[in-house]
Amino acid sequence: MAKPGDALLFSVVRRDHRPWLLMLNAAVATTGGLLLPAALADAVDMALSGKFVLFTVVWLLLLAATEIVGDAIGIVLAASTTSRATAWLRRKLSGKLLDLGHPSPFAAGDAVSRVTGDCGNAGGIAVTLITLVVTAVSSAGAVVALALLDWRLAAVFVLSVPLAGLLIRTHMRMTADDVLTYQEVSGEVSARLLDSVSGLRTIASAGIADRETDRVLEPLPRLAAAGAGMWRTQAKMMWRAGLLLPAVEIAVLTAAGFGVMEGRLSTGDVLAALGYSALGMGIVGQMTQLTVLERTRASASRIVEVLDTEAPERPAPQRSNGVIELRGVSVGEALRDVDLMIPAGTFAAIVGSSGAGKSTLAAVLGGLSAVDAGEVTGHDSVGYAFERPALLGTTIGRSIGYGTDADEVQVRDAAVAAQVHDVLIRLPQGYETPVADAPLSGGEAQRIGLARAIIRDPDVLVLDDAMASLDTVTEAKVDKALTTALLGRTRVVVTHRAATAARADLVVWLENGRVRGTATHQELWTNADYRAVFTGGE
Amino acid sequence: MRFYLSTLAGHRRGVLVLLGWSLLEGIPAFFGGRFVGTAVDKGFAAGDPLAGVLWLLAFAALAVVGALGQRQVFARLGSVVEPMRDALVARVVNGVLNDPSHRRTPDASAVAMITRHVEVVRDATAGVLVQARALLVTTLAALIGVATTASALIWLVVLPIVAALVLFGLMLPSLAKRQRDAVMADEHTAEASGSVLTGLRDVAACDAAAEAYGDVAKQIDLQAEATITVAWANSLRATVIALGGFAPIALLVAFAPPLVASGQLTTGAVLAAVVYLTNSVNPALHGLARTTSTVVMRLMVALKRLQEAAPRTDRDMGTETPSNGEFVLRDVTFGWSPDAEPVVRGLSLDLRPGDHLAVVGPSGIGKSTMASLLTGLMAPDNGSVLFGGAPVDRVTPTVRHHAIALIPQETYLFTGTVRENLTLLAPWATDEDLVEAVKKVGAKPLLDRIGGLDAALGHGGEGLSAGEAQLLAVARVYVTSAGVVILDEATSHLDPAAEARVERAFAERNGILVVIAHRLSSALRANRVLVMDGGRPLLGTHEHLLKTSPLYGQLMLAWDPTHREETPLPKR
Repeated sequence: MAKPGDALLFSVVRRDHRPWLLMLNAAVATTGGLLLPAALADAVDMALSGKFVLFTVVWLLLLAATEIVGDAIGIVLAASTTSRATAWLRRKLSGKLLDLGHPSPFAAGDAVSRVTGDCGNAGGIAVTLITLVVTAVSSAGAVVALALLDWRLAAVFVLSVPLAGLLIRTHMRMTADDVLTYQEVSGEVSARLLDSVSGLRTIASAGIADRETDRVLEPLPRLAAAGAGMWRTQAKMMWRAGLLLPAVEIAVLTAAGFGVMEGRLSTGDVLAALGYSALGMGIVGQMTQLTVLERTRASASRIVEVLDTEAPERPAPQRSNGVIELRGVSVGEALRDVDLMIPAGTFAAIVGSSGAGKSTLAAVLGGLSAVDAGEVTGHDSVGYAFERPALLGTTIGRSIGYGTDADEVQVRDAAVAAQVHDVLIRLPQGYETPVADAPLSGGEAQRIGLARAIIRDPDVLVLDDAMASLDTVTEAKVDKALTTALLGRTRVVVTHRAATAARADLVVWLENGRVRGTATHQELWTNADYRAVFTGGE
Repeated sequence: MRFYLSTLAGHRRGVLVLLGWSLLEGIPAFFGGRFVGTAVDKGFAAGDPLAGVLWLLAFAALAVVGALGQRQVFARLGSVVEPMRDALVARVVNGVLNDPSHRRTPDASAVAMITRHVEVVRDATAGVLVQARALLVTTLAALIGVATTASALIWLVVLPIVAALVLFGLMLPSLAKRQRDAVMADEHTAEASGSVLTGLRDVAACDAAAEAYGDVAKQIDLQAEATITVAWANSLRATVIALGGFAPIALLVAFAPPLVASGQLTTGAVLAAVVYLTNSVNPALHGLARTTSTVVMRLMVALKRLQEAAPRTDRDMGTETPSNGEFVLRDVTFGWSPDAEPVVRGLSLDLRPGDHLAVVGPSGIGKSTMASLLTGLMAPDNGSVLFGGAPVDRVTPTVRHHAIALIPQETYLFTGTVRENLTLLAPWATDEDLVEAVKKVGAKPLLDRIGGLDAALGHGGEGLSAGEAQLLAVARVYVTSAGVVILDEATSHLDPAAEARVERAFAERNGILVVIAHRLSSALRANRVLVMDGGRPLLGTHEHLLKTSPLYGQLMLAWDPTHREETPLPKR
C-alpha cells in the first residue's frame, strides 16, 4: 500500500549516486560470500587429500578478501549514504519549517522530533532496502548452492526452516506490561529529578541534597522489578531463537552425512552444507528490517506532511506614512474583525485580560504573523521584544545582533540602551559566552530581547509584555533609555501594568478578540470593566 | 568508569552466577566441531549411518544445553543490570543535587539527556554481559576444542586471533573518541534545531530565517561528517577482526596437507578444526566487530557524559562553630571569572539580630550573589564573610543550615502532600506549627482553597500560580527556627500587599532579615538599604541614602511611588 512518504523516499534514493555504489559493492561481496563455503569445502578436501594445490588456496583467499574488503567498503558507504540523505532531509525540513514561520502549524517539540528523529529514520531508506535485497538474494543463493551440492540438502533446508520458525513464533509474544511500567516509572524519576533541579538553590542552601536524592529515587524499586521482568521475557525469546539454528543445521548435516556415505558428497561438502545453512538462515535475523522499513515509511510520511503544508500568504505590509492601520482583521478565534489606527510616533498600550488576544494583535500589526481576513498596513521595519524571548545565535553577543550584520560596537550600544550591558560583561566570557552557558534570569533575558529589538533601529517597536519580569528600577531605566534611543518612533506595548498604560498616548482595550475601546488610560479608567482588567479579573 | 566497574564488582556474585551459566553455554562450542567431525569420520564416511546420526543427535542435545545456558544468563541479567542501573541513577541524582556550582541549573532537556544516557548504560551493560561474555566463552571453548583435536596446528590458529584482538584493543580509545564526537554532534544538532524551532516567533521577529537556517544546517552537516568519520573507524576495525578470524582457516588448510599425508592429522580432526573456526570463532569475532565494540563505545561515551552531568565533588566540609548570630562582611569581592567584571566589589557590612536589610538595584547586577555569599554557598574571591566570627562557608554544615535560611525566587515544590512540602526544612513541625506559619505569611486562604495540609501537589507545584507557590515556599521557611532569613526576590510574584505582609511577618521574628528586593517598596520597610548598581555598593538608611546618594534619589524618583501599581502579576 502506497504511503504519502514513498515518493519522498524514492527521491532520497535517487538523488545520490552512493546507493548504486553500495548496491554494486553488496553484489560483489555477496557473490564472494556465496562462493566462499564451496571454496572452503574444496580447500578442506585438498587438505585431506594431503596435496597442496596453490590455485585452491589462492581462490579461497581471493574470495575471503573480496568479502572482507567489500564489508569494509560497505560500512563506510552505508554510513555516508545514510548520513548524507539524513542531512539532506534535515536541511530541507528545517528550511520548510522556517518558511512556514510563526505561528507554526506544528508544535515545537513535534517539529524537533521530526527533524531529529524522523529524518534520521527516513535517511536510512537506501541502506534498509539494499540490506533486504541482499539478504533475500544471499538466502536464495544459499538454497540454490545447497541444491547444486545435492538437491536433498536444499529440500531438507527449505522444509525445516518453516517448521523451526513455527516453533519460535508460537510463544514470541512480548509481555508489554513490564515495558510500559518501566517507561512510566522512568518518567516518574525524571519528573522528580526535574522538580528537585529547579529547586537546587533551596536544596543547596538548606543542605538537604541527600534527603532529596532519596525522594527522587523513591520509585526505583518498581523500576528494577519491571526491568527484571523484561529480562525474563527476553530470556524466553532467546531460548527459542537459540534452538532454531542448531535444529536446521542438524537436519541439513544428517542429510549431508547420508550424501557422504553414498558417495554423492565429499567430506569438505559437509562443511559447505553447514556454511550454506547458516547463510540461508541469515534472512531470519534480518526479519526486523521489515519493521525498520515500515518505520522508515511512517517517518517519511511525517516529513512529507510538513513539506506539503503551504506557507500562509504573507504580503509585506505597505508603507503608509507611519500609520499602522488594521481593517476588518480576523485571526482564528483570537482576533475578530478588528479595526484600528495607530498614528505615527504614538506610544500605544494594548491591554486586556488573559486570552483577550493581545499577543495576537501585537504579532499581526507588525506583520509577524499572517491574518485570516482583513488588511494590515504599516511599516516594513518593525522591532519586536517579548515576555519570554527565545535567545538564538551562537553567543550572547550574536543573539543581540541576530539576523543583522551588526558589529560589536552596535551590539554593545544596544545592550547599554537595554540596561543589560552591566550584566553581560559579568558573564564568564562576556559577550562571547555561548547562549546555552549563560546563567540568565527571566528579566535579563527580557532585556537582551529588548537590545535585539533596539539594534534593528526600527520605525515601530512592539513590546509584547517585554518588561514583565523587570523590577521597577530597571523598568524605569529601560523605558527612559528606549525613549532616548528610539526618539519619536511608534511604540506599541502589551502590558498588564496600569502605570505603563497610564503613560501611553493611546490605550487599545481588547476583550475576547475584539476592540472594546481606544482612548487614553484616564478616559477608560472611568469604566469599571476596564479597571477590573488591572485589579484582577482572573 | 571506575565507579561503573566498582559497582559491577559490587555485584560480583551475580556476575559469577552469570559466568557459571556461560560455561553451560560454551559446551556446544567446545564439543560441536568434535562431534560433527566424528559423525562424518566414524559414522557417515565409515559407512555407519546410525553412528553418524547418533553423534549428530548428541550435538543437538548439546545445542539444547547451550540454549538453556543462554536462557539462564538472560534470566539472571536482571539481578546484575538492574541493581547497577539503580546505583548509577542514585549516584547521578546525588551528584546533580550536590553540584556546588549552582549556576547552570540543568533544565528539562538536561534531565532527559541524563535519563537517556542511563538507559544506554543499562542496555550496553546487558549487551556487554551477553555478547562479550558469549564471545569470550565461545572463542575459548572453540580454541580448546581445536587444541584437543588438531593440537599440531594450534599456534596457527591462536596467533592471528590474539594479534587481531590486541590490535583491536589498541584501537578502542581512538574509536571511542570519534564515537563521542559523533554523539556530541548529534546533541548539537538537536540543540540547534530545538532552539530555532522553539523560537520560530523570534526568528520571524528578527527576520533571521537565513541565519537560523545557516546555524542549523551547519550542525546538520557537521553531524553527517562525524557519522562518516566513525564509519571509517568502524570499517578499519571490522577489517582487522575479519582478518584475524579468517587467517587461521586459510593457514589451517594451507599447512594441513603434509600433516594429513604423514598421518599426524585425521579427516575428523581437520573437519572439526574448520567447524570450530567457521561455526564458533568467526561468528563470535564478527559479533565483536559489529556490535560489541559499538556497544562498548556507547557505554564509554554515556558514562563520560553522565560524569560531566553529575561531577563528583568531595567538598571539604567546614567544622567551625559560630559564637553568635551576627554577620560581619569585610571588603568582600566576587566575580564569576577572573576576566569578568566583579559582581560584588569591596562590600563591608555588619548585620545583628533585629536588623532588616533591603538590597536594591537593577536585576542581574549580582543581588542573588549576595544571597549565595551570605548562605556560604559561595566563598568570596577577596575579603571575608564571617558568621559568628567564623567564615560562613567553613561553619559546620548542619549548624549553618539550621541558622541561615534562603528563599530563592525559583520555588521548590515537589510531588507529595502540602504537609510534606511545608515540613521540608523542619521535619519536627506539628500541624499547628504549620497552620500558624501559613496564617502569618497570609497563605491561609490558599491552604483552605487547595484542601488543607493533606492535599496532594503535582510535579513542580502544578495547578498553583507562581505567586501561590511562592507563598508556600515562604511558609516553609517561617516554620523553621532560622535566625537569619534571606528572601531573594522570593515574593516577586505576589502583589505588593501580600509582599508587605510576608516581609512584616519575618521582620517580627527579630532575627536578621535580608530582603533582596524586586520592588523598591521593600526598601521603605527595611531599617537599612544596600544599593547595588554595578559600582561600589552604598549602604545606609532610606532617609540617609535619599540625602547623600544622588543615585538612590534617582532610583526612587524613577520608581515614582505616586504611580505605584497595586496590580498582581498575571497568573501563570
